[in-house]
Parts: sequence; C-alpha cells; structure tokens
Amino acid sequence: MIQYANLERYEGNEALFDLIKMSMLSTIAGEPLHIHAEGLRGTGKTTIMRKAQDILPPIKRIKGCIYNCDPKEPHCPHHRELSAQEIADLGVEEIPMPFLEISHSAKVGTVAGSIDLAKLTDESHPEARLLPGLIPQAHRGILFIDEINRLADTAPEITDILLDLMGTKPGIVQIEEAGLPVVKIKVSVSVWAASNPDEDPGPLEEIRRQLSDRFDMVCYMGRPTSIDVLAKMLKENFHTNIHPDKDIMDEATIAKKHQEYTSSLLKWAEIYKQADIPDFVRNYIARLYVKHNLESIRAIEAMQQSAVLYAITKNRDQATINDVSRMLPLILKHRINSDTLIKVINDIDGKGESIFSSVNKSAKKTDLAEEKEYFKSVGRPLKFLGRNELINTEKSLDVNKAD
Amino acid sequence: MNSERSSKSNISNITTTANYLSLYLGQDQGVRLGESVVVSTKAHARMPKKKIKGQIEILTNRDAGKTYLNCIDLDQIVHIDVYHLPGEIDPRDVARAIFRAMDQYFTNQDPQLQYAEEVRFKMLSSYAEKIQISTKLGKGKIYDLFQNEIIPYTVGDEGRDHVHILARLNREEYFMVYIIATTTEEVIIQSGLQLAQVRSISHGKQKEQEDDFGHYIKIPWKRFSGQEATFMSPEENVNQLVLKLAEKFGGIEEIQDWMQMYSRNILKRKGAEYQKKKWGDIEHYVEQMEEMGLMQKTPLLGTTLTKKGLEIQDYIIKHKPELETEIRRNIRRVPGGSSTRFRKVGQSKQKTTQVEFVDYHKTINNSDNWTGNLAVAETVIQAKKSGLLRGDKHFSIKKEDLYFYDKKSYVPIDICLLMDASGSMAGDKRQAACALAQHLLLTGKERVAVVTFQEHSARVVAPFTRNQSILSKGLATINPSGLTPMASGIMTALDLISKSRVHNPLLIMITDGIPNSPLWTMDSKADALEAISKLPEQKIHFICIGVESTRLFMEKLSERGEGALYLVDDLNKENLINLVRYEKNEILKR
Repeated sequence: MIQYANLERYEGNEALFDLIKMSMLSTIAGEPLHIHAEGLRGTGKTTIMRKAQDILPPIKRIKGCIYNCDPKEPHCPHHRELSAQEIADLGVEEIPMPFLEISHSAKVGTVAGSIDLAKLTDESHPEARLLPGLIPQAHRGILFIDEINRLADTAPEITDILLDLMGTKPGIVQIEEAGLPVVKIKVSVSVWAASNPDEDPGPLEEIRRQLSDRFDMVCYMGRPTSIDVLAKMLKENFHTNIHPDKDIMDEATIAKKHQEYTSSLLKWAEIYKQADIPDFVRNYIARLYVKHNLESIRAIEAMQQSAVLYAITKNRDQATINDVSRMLPLILKHRINSDTLIKVINDIDGKGESIFSSVNKSAKKTDLAEEKEYFKSVGRPLKFLGRNELINTEKSLDVNKAD
Repeated sequence: MNSERSSKSNISNITTTANYLSLYLGQDQGVRLGESVVVSTKAHARMPKKKIKGQIEILTNRDAGKTYLNCIDLDQIVHIDVYHLPGEIDPRDVARAIFRAMDQYFTNQDPQLQYAEEVRFKMLSSYAEKIQISTKLGKGKIYDLFQNEIIPYTVGDEGRDHVHILARLNREEYFMVYIIATTTEEVIIQSGLQLAQVRSISHGKQKEQEDDFGHYIKIPWKRFSGQEATFMSPEENVNQLVLKLAEKFGGIEEIQDWMQMYSRNILKRKGAEYQKKKWGDIEHYVEQMEEMGLMQKTPLLGTTLTKKGLEIQDYIIKHKPELETEIRRNIRRVPGGSSTRFRKVGQSKQKTTQVEFVDYHKTINNSDNWTGNLAVAETVIQAKKSGLLRGDKHFSIKKEDLYFYDKKSYVPIDICLLMDASGSMAGDKRQAACALAQHLLLTGKERVAVVTFQEHSARVVAPFTRNQSILSKGLATINPSGLTPMASGIMTALDLISKSRVHNPLLIMITDGIPNSPLWTMDSKADALEAISKLPEQKIHFICIGVESTRLFMEKLSERGEGALYLVDDLNKENLINLVRYEKNEILKR
C-alpha cells in the first residue's frame, strides 16, 4: 500500500499538497479552511486527500464525548453546562483527529443526526435520544466528500446542510427530529471535496453556485507529464519489491517521515495562532476587491487566510504580496470568469484603485474626418425650457414626422 | 421673472427630470434632455452613414460603464453628453461650476448643512469622485479637475466636440443629471460658444467588436524563479489564450488546424478561402497573436509562428485533456440572459412522456400507495412511535407506519439540430450553431444529433449521441457553402429520428435563409412545406429559429410543422442557447 510520504509529487499536484497542509494546520489552530480538488479522473485527487489521514495529529476530547468536546471549551448538549471540575472528573482521552467521509447514499439523518434507533427499540429501556450524524462527529477534524458535484445534483437537502456548515467559521448544524427538541450545534470542520468537472453533471459552480463559493480554495489538478515521475509511480505500486530501490522508502522511514510532517503541522499551527498580516498586504487585497469589482467577500477573506497559511508552510514569518498572488488563481478561479481572473492575476502592482482607471478603452480610432458642421441649429439652454419640453424620446423627436 | 419663482420652478424641473430618467433609463432607453443634451446608460454615436445631420444614436448593446470604464456590472454609469458648436471648453471650468452648483443645491435643500462644514464637504467630495468630465482639452474626475489635475486629451477619446460626462449614480440620484446638464450648458455659453441642437435620437446596435485580448494575456514562457521575483502564473495565461481561441475556432483540434496554417512548412498549409468559410474573419486573431509575440510576418513565408508560438503549440498538444476540460467547462456556462431578445410565434403542441426513478434521499408516508421501495429505518421509528401511542405490548408494524422512498420523474428531450449550412451561414453563425450543439450535449442528460443541409443534399453530421468527441468531430466537418435545400434537410432529420429510439424528440431548425433548392418538384418552398407537414404524425416537437427578414415563409413553415417560430435579430451563441433553454422549460411545464 502506498502511503502519504511516498505519494509522488509533481508540478500538477504540488498545489494540492500545499492546500492540504494549509487546511490541516488551520484546522488544528481552530479555523476551518474548505478546499476542493478538481481534475480529470485518475489524477489522484481522492487518493491524496484520503492518504492525508496518515499525518493527522491526535486531538484531546472529554472522555467518550461523541461530539469531540474540547475539555477547555465544551460545546455539546451533554457537556456545555458542566463546570470545569465536573469535566475534569469525566476525564480526558486522546483520539485521532476525525477524518470522516460523506458518501452518496448519505441521508439527512446520517449526516446531521437522527433519533437513536438502538436506544429507541431497546426492549428494557426504550428511550428517544439523538444520535449525532457525521458532521457533528467530525468536529475539530476533516469531512471529505468525493464527487461533490454529483452529491449537489442528487441530494439538494444535504447540500443545504453543507451550506449552513460552511457559511460561517465555525459553522452550524441543526438536528431536527419529529417529537424531539431542535438541537443546534456549533461545528468547526474543514470540508474537503473532490470532483471531476468534466463528468456528469458538470462543474459544481454550474450546479450550486453558493456551495462552490463556500469553498475557500479550489485546486486544479494536472496530469503528470514527466516519464521519470510516471515510471517511479509504477514501480512503487508494483505488487512485489524484489529489487529494492534506494529511492523507495521502507516502512520505518515512512513512519519517521509521517512523524516529521505531524510535528511540523503542530508547530505551524502554534505559529498561526499568533500570526498577523502586514497592513500593506491587507490593503493590496482590499484594492483588488474594489478595482476588479469582485463579488464575494469570502474570496478576499480567503486571500488573507491563505496568504498567511502559505507563508507559514514555507517557514516565513510574514505574508507578502507574492504569497497573495500565488494563491489568487486557487481562490478566484471558481468565483469569477476566466477573463477577469487573468486580469486580476496579471495586475501585479494592483495600483490605481479608481473606477476611472482605464479610460483608454474608448471606441477605436473612429473616422476623424467627421464633418465639422454636423449640427446645424443652435439649441436653447435647459433653464429656459418649460416642463413639457424637458424630456424627449426617440418617438417624440421623429425626424420624418417633424419635417 | 423674479428669482424666487425661478428657483422654485427649477426644483420641480429637477424632480420631473429625475422621474422621467428613472422611467426611460430603466427601460434601457436614452432621452434628449432639453435640446442639446443626450442622457442614457449606453454609449452614444453619431450617424454618419445616413444623411440626417444632428442625429445621435444610442448604442443599446454598449453599456456606458463597460465601454468607457471597464465596469463589470451593467447600468452603473449614467452617460451625459452636452453638444455644442465647434470650440474649446476647459473641463476644469465645468468641474468647478458643477461643484458649486451641487453645493448650492444641497444647501438649498437642507439649510442646516451650512453649519455642518464637514458633512457637506464629505457629501460633495463623494459626488466629485463619482463624476468624470472629458472635453477636447482633457479629462478627469471633478475632484481632480477641481485641484487642477488634468489628464490630457488623446486621439480617440470621447469629448472631442461635446462635453462628455460619466456619472456613477443610483436611480435615486438621477436628480443630479439635471444639475450637471444645466450647469454644463451655462459654462458652454459663458465660454462664448453656442449649444448645438440635437435634432433627433435613435436606438441601435453597434456590431459587436471583437475582444482585444492580446494586451492583457501575458505569455512569459519561463517560470519566474527566486523569492524576490514577482510570481506570475504562466498556465493561467495560456489557458485563457486557448479559451479565447476555442471560443472562435471551436475546439483544440480546430485550433491546431488553424495554427498549422502558419507553420513554416508551406505544404501543410491550407488556403485562406478554406479558413474563411470555416471560421469567418480571422484577421483579428492573427493580430492578437502578433501582439503577444506568438506570430510574426516574414518576407518569404508570410505570417508564421514564432519560437514562442511553437512552444505554445507544443504545450497545447501536451496538455490537450486539461485544456479540453477547461473548454468544455466554458461551453457548459450558461450565458447571461439579459441580452437575449427574441420573438416567439406559435407553440409546439406535442404531448410529452416522462421517466420515473426512485429518489433515495426522500421518504414519504402514504398509506394509499403501496408501491415503491420500503424505507426501513423510518418505518421502524414510526412504528415505535405509534406503538407507544397505541399502547402496544410488543413491537409491531402496522400499515400506516410504512414509509417509502419517493419517486422523481423527468422528461427526457432528445434534440436533433437541423442546421442550414448554405453559404450565408459561414463564419460566426456556423460557430454559434456548433456552440449550441455542444452546450446542449454538455448541460443536458439527453442525446443530441446534428443534421446539415447545403448545396443539393443533406447529411447526418452526428447521429443521436452522448459522446462529446463524436459530436465535435462531426461539427468540425461542417463547411458552409452553396444553396439551401431545406426539404431534403427535413427529410434526412425525420428519417434519422424515426430510425433512432428517442424520447420526446425536439427538432430545432436554425437557418437564416429560405429554401432555394427543391427536392421533389421545381418549387423549393412548397417542397419544404410538404416535408415539414410530416412531422406532427411522428410526434416530433418542432421549433424553428430564423431572422426577421424571412418571417413570412418561416411562419408558414412552423404552422405546418405544428411548431413554434423564434425570430432573433442575430443568430449568435447567447441568443441560440437562451432561447433553446426557454423552449425546453416550456416543454417541461406542459
């Protein structure tokens, strides 16, 4: 089995590895970053995202809490009213950071929550209780949705739940079941999605515009083009390993490598909690919004968040304009048309915030030999005109009628 | 007239103007305000073609904000042109006068403002930022002009013979137009010039100018390296170039075909005549490529690809799947419907059949309907709940507890495009019809077929298919020329439809002419009518897309085919896609 450390990295999928790192460290720090990988089939979108589980760090929760309550900040219906002492008495346990997946047979009940059937049909103590669905259980972790365009097409009601979840940071899930009180839970989950825009039913932004806008960043996967990369991939996936290659890592090295990834994620998350962004970079982002008439505030929020995250993963302590422009295609491609995108991207200095900045787009070199005496008669000034003479339309000025 | 009364009547003129403006501008119309001012949200042009002097044309397809200021949204900018007899006006004088007039107006409206210096200034300067003035002597925002900052006039700018004013105003702020117009007129008169009377206005369209993409797509082939260098995304730029070309040429294969024409190997080139028939005018695209440094003129071989151009060609070949995905994504995009104008005559009357399938995401509790798939979990919950109410001792499931999965239905519509491929369809119209076929295939769940007719016969370009490559390969072979044998086109399409197993077939005929090549008799029109009258018995929905000039015949045709006729002013991509979507919705509603 191939593992995260020995997944092949090449030009076309480099961006996805970056995004995964950024999203994970942001999630650890408590702020979700929703990412979406789009690409042709077989470019490894799903594989890379699923394998990222290998390097997720553990989290601490109140012992046995299915909602993954942070002992310092309990939020679930069972623990939110308890005192610090009571929580300490319950104990704390360490679990792997959640990585759950919404499949295509998902229903509202399994995703948000439903009545607990086992408790309800219990012969001795029948009881009506809520069983939290996948989303509340993924709190402080990652929720993965493969082929999200298909899900958005066939299951609009699940899409609505996702819209609530991703609309704010942290998001909200509401569990409703006839006969039980409505429960509203705060959930902080990074949603990861993958889709092939070329297969039925088409790209996500054409199916559910709002959902597509909720993703902070979209990564477009390329196919590997280098023969070396492809040959190495084949070798790693071969069923036997008779001639061990020095390039191919053994189990121990892989485990060590995963350890390294995890610890750097934890380190970065600590840095992220303290990080700030210089004012000129922030102004630059704001200027892009105004100058190019961008529609979505989410887009510029994502620019700010991602620039900082990217700088941190590159071990730099400050985000620069370069970081922002590197993130631009990933943030804007699903939000604006490609013509505007290219104008934003190529507009490196971002200066000239005026709406009147590019007046030179005026009509082409018109025939300059226009007659000098185009107008024959002199007009009377407006202030001498009565009310009924003020406004004339095409009809009231009909030349043929007048003559 | 004493000043008291004149100022009173002035205010009512302001309101009247504002009311009329919000009425007419809201209907996308322009008006003449007074005798010398033209106001609209569009670009204005003179009409040198016609002999009528003093007439101003309002170009309804050219939004002023988009044309002059690169705005993205429509209707943001009010365009005010004040015409005067030849002479020079200093835009700074105009700016100062407007500024003072606004000041006066606001203080008149609300005398309190006199004492709130700061609020007043803030209000005025926000307007001063939103209004731009240009004349022959230069241009700028009122705010800048007021401070003597002026951008010099360059050839081609608006305002050479009139005062050209663009104001970013909301509907509620249209009263400003009157203030701007009267003040500007006063400045003109004070400068010793005379106002010109605009004799009449008319509304028209300007032929869509082709987009100049050469100046903003940057092709830096090598990736910039190093921390300090500014990062540019070469792939995005190449993608955009390919998308632009694909819009014109159709697909990657056709782009390759086109680029091949500029190879150094003369034997591989095809004639200019071939190009023109297939793609229409391509000169503009060659110019753009030259601007990007991808093509160059050489003395011996004519225009050829440069080294950079060859690299792009290579890149396109290597990244064909990714680029094709991008192109298909573009084809799927539904164009904005606002610009589409069409007229519909008649209605197709065929009944539709639908397909049902189980919706596993939705359950229903309906004890009258016993058919369908049982939803076990929901049933158990319901049984438990009602068991409690019934006071059952043991768990039991009754008929009324049963939950089923819901059913969905949809109406599949298989589409056959019957395309006129006579000489008059060459170029843009051909491209538009091809784009429609691709769009229908990629956005629907149904099959699409294409039949063309030209010269003396018709042929099936693509049979009913869901396979995009079959369709696009077929479309690439369409090469318009010759006569319009409509009857044989209809018969070929009919034959194809009856031989294929199709659901709710919809035949869409796209043509800009009338038949002029007969099938059975000597009368080509009668033959076409005869052929179309066979449609209703086959239960084929029929719509026909034509242009106004052929209306009389088309009306007869759609009537005989028991279908609907759509008339458009231009057979372009947006019109075609939007009206077919409209028709599909109409069919679904029935």
